[in-house]
This record gives sequence, structure tokens and C-alpha cells, in this order.
Amino acid sequence: MNEGGEVVNASAIAAKKKLSASFFKKGVFVAILSGICYGLYSAFLTLGMTKGVWADWYGVNTAALSVFVITYLLGALGSAVNDTCSAGWALLNVSVKGKLGDFFRTINTTPGRVMILAALIGGPISSTAYVVGLQMAGSIVIPISALCPAIGAILGRVLFKQELNKRMILGIAICVIASFMIGSTSVGGEAKEGMFLGICIAFIAALGWGFEGCVAGYGTSMIDYEIGITIRQTISGLSNLIILVPIFGIISGGGVGLSQDLIVQAFTSGPAMIFFVISGFFALYAYSLWYKGNSMCGAALGMACNGAFSFWGPFFCFIILGVICGIDGWSLPPIVWFAAVLMALGILVIAMNPLDLFRKREDKLYETT
Amino acid sequence: MKPLNYAILKHFTKVKEASTEDVIEALKGKYGNFKALNRKDVLAALMTAEANGLLEETRFGMDEAGTLKIYYRAHKEGADTINKYIKD
Repeated sequence: MNEGGEVVNASAIAAKKKLSASFFKKGVFVAILSGICYGLYSAFLTLGMTKGVWADWYGVNTAALSVFVITYLLGALGSAVNDTCSAGWALLNVSVKGKLGDFFRTINTTPGRVMILAALIGGPISSTAYVVGLQMAGSIVIPISALCPAIGAILGRVLFKQELNKRMILGIAICVIASFMIGSTSVGGEAKEGMFLGICIAFIAALGWGFEGCVAGYGTSMIDYEIGITIRQTISGLSNLIILVPIFGIISGGGVGLSQDLIVQAFTSGPAMIFFVISGFFALYAYSLWYKGNSMCGAALGMACNGAFSFWGPFFCFIILGVICGIDGWSLPPIVWFAAVLMALGILVIAMNPLDLFRKREDKLYETT
Repeated sequence: MKPLNYAILKHFTKVKEASTEDVIEALKGKYGNFKALNRKDVLAALMTAEANGLLEETRFGMDEAGTLKIYYRAHKEGADTINKYIKD
């Protein structure tokens, strides 16, 4: 019996072991689920951007939008509409769960401000760097995003002294190689002028996402993860709408007036908004479960599990846009399936020593004989 | 008034150790109407704080009702971090 009057017997030890194991397993499950939600949100966002007014902008283009507007401004606008819808879902969620008061109480605190910084870096800054990099260097930058789990793990080690041993580094390397293989299927043969600068800018995006996952994951050890994600989506949606889209409007020469006009058209395009509302719903869980998974099992494992989105993204685009909607060009090449298996192996290597699986089996054999 | 999660962590900078039930008992006066002040959510918050090095487990055992009770404490580094980020 301990000093509190509780009994420390075999059943207490077994219950404690079970609780600890289920917490870890739940963390891994949550992080993997975040990657799946990420894939679904990407697919519905892509679908939304083919409907309503978006079909005209990217197709016939009766509004005569410039190449710059179509490439940069519409990309940022798509993110802004998605994140704003997601913020709406997040606010509804915290209201239903009685956490709306805590959301407002959290914003103006140190962890709240850190979460805002992570949202700004991971949201508009990284997204823009990625799109700019894509435009400058071409599709070769797509696999660069695969580096963010590795960056998150390194930052987790440096900033928060999280565990990062040789086995985990090997697992992360396997995941990065697998993501790289998936991303390489999008790489064309083009070699654009300013490619090196474009790759460097895209690296800023990977750095930003790594920072966001690591810092916001740690932040959710203090902030309720559902409040954390409400801060993230609100800040990301508003900063995209109020800052980023108007900046692109000014650079394009159309001014703030053009961006305002496009924002209004996007939000009033019913056929597209249906899919943005769905993509915003999945984005809520893509990010909130990412933060939660990272806080439960550390940035290295959490980000590797979430990093499987590089498979889930093309996979759900194939299912939703290719199979269900019958749009051509979304099938998955065999290398993607192989890379998905490789990535699962990488995640296993980060989470545990695969040899333990055989050791446990041996132990059970000894126990039964 | 602080957010509930902050109050839970801050509680550990003021006591030697506490279990989930102790935390709920200590905070129910101020946060009694919060839906998240329940055993499942508070335990998840404590285990997350432990996974991130803010708290550490001190002991555990079964109470008379057969419920597992786990006690946590904020070690010096954890308490310093909590006090650094969460002000009174």
C-alpha cells in the first residue's frame, strides 16, 4: 500500500502498463489519421477549385486574369477560403464543447502568441514560399516538402530536447526517401531559369512546416489541442484573406480592388463552396490531429506518421477526383504504392525496434511452453 | 481567469504531487461548469504534459473502488517552464 492508501499490486501494474501503451498507440493512430484527413482535405480542395467560378478562372478565363493572378493569387485564395471554412468548423467545435471562452482567454498569452507565430509561419509564409518555389523552379520542388518531418524531428531535439536516436534517424530517412519517390512522379524534365533560388525558397516552406509541427505540437502540451487548432485556422484564414491575397493583388497590378472582387466571387460561388466546406472540415482534423499526435508521441514519430500525407494526398485525389468524379490524370503509378509500403516501414522503425516484434513472439513462445 | 489547461498545469507548481482526482477536486470551485473538467480529459492533459517533460509520474496504485490513480509532480525544470510560459 502506498502513502495515499492505494494498493500497488499486479493488477495496478498491469492497468498502468495498459494505460501507458494505449496512450502511445493512440498518439500514433491520431498522427496517422491526421495524414489521412490531410489527403481528404487536399482532394476536396482540389475538387472545389475545379467547380463554379474556379472552373472559369482556370478554364475559359472570361475574366481575363493574368498568368500571375491565376498562379499566385488564386492559389493563396484557395488556401484562404479553405482555412476560413476550417476556422468556422473549429469555432463551432469549441463552442459545442464549451471551450469558446478558453479560446479567447488563450489568444493573448505567451503560448497563444507562440501558436499564432507557428500558424503564420506554417500558414501564409510557408504556403506562399512553396507556391513561389513551384513557379520559379518547377515541379522539382514538390519532393522538398518531404523534408519537413526530418526538420521537425531535428527542431524537436534542439528546441525541446526530444528523443532522437540513430534508429529514429534511419526511420525518418526511409520516410523522406519514400516521400521523395512519390513527389518525383510529379517532376517534369523542365529546367527553369532561377531554379536554384526557387529550390531555396521552397526549402523555406519545408523549414516553416517543420517549425510549425514541432512548436505547435509542443504548444499543445499547454494549450488544449482543439483551442490550438482554432487559433491556427483563424489566424491562417484571416492572414491569407487580409494580407496575402491583397499583396498578390497589388503585385499583379490589379490592386486591392481586384483581390476583393475575387474574394467575393469565391465565397459566393455555391457549387465550389460546398467542397470548400468539406475540405475545411477535413483540414480541421488534418491539423488538430497533427498537433495532438506530435504532443502525444513527440515530433519525430508524430511528423513521420502525418508525413504519410504525401501518399494519402495523391491516393484520395485518385479516389475522389479520378474514380468518383471520373476526371482523367489522377491514377497512381506503381512507384507510389511501393513508396507507401516503404513509408509504413519507416514509421515502424521510428516508433519501435522492429526486432522487438520477433523478441516478443519468442517471449510468448517461452511463456506457453 | 486562466484557461483550464493552464490552471491544471499551474496547480502542479503549487503542490508536491497530485492525481487526476486531486486536480479535479482543487479546480472544481472555479472550473466546475467546464465540460473538460472530467477524469478522461484531465488525465489526457497530464499524460501529454508528461510526454513533453513538463510533469513526471511519482507513484500509482489501485484505490478501494478498483480505479487506477496516478500521481504526478512538476520537477524543477518542468515547473520553471510552466511558470515561464504561464503567468499568475
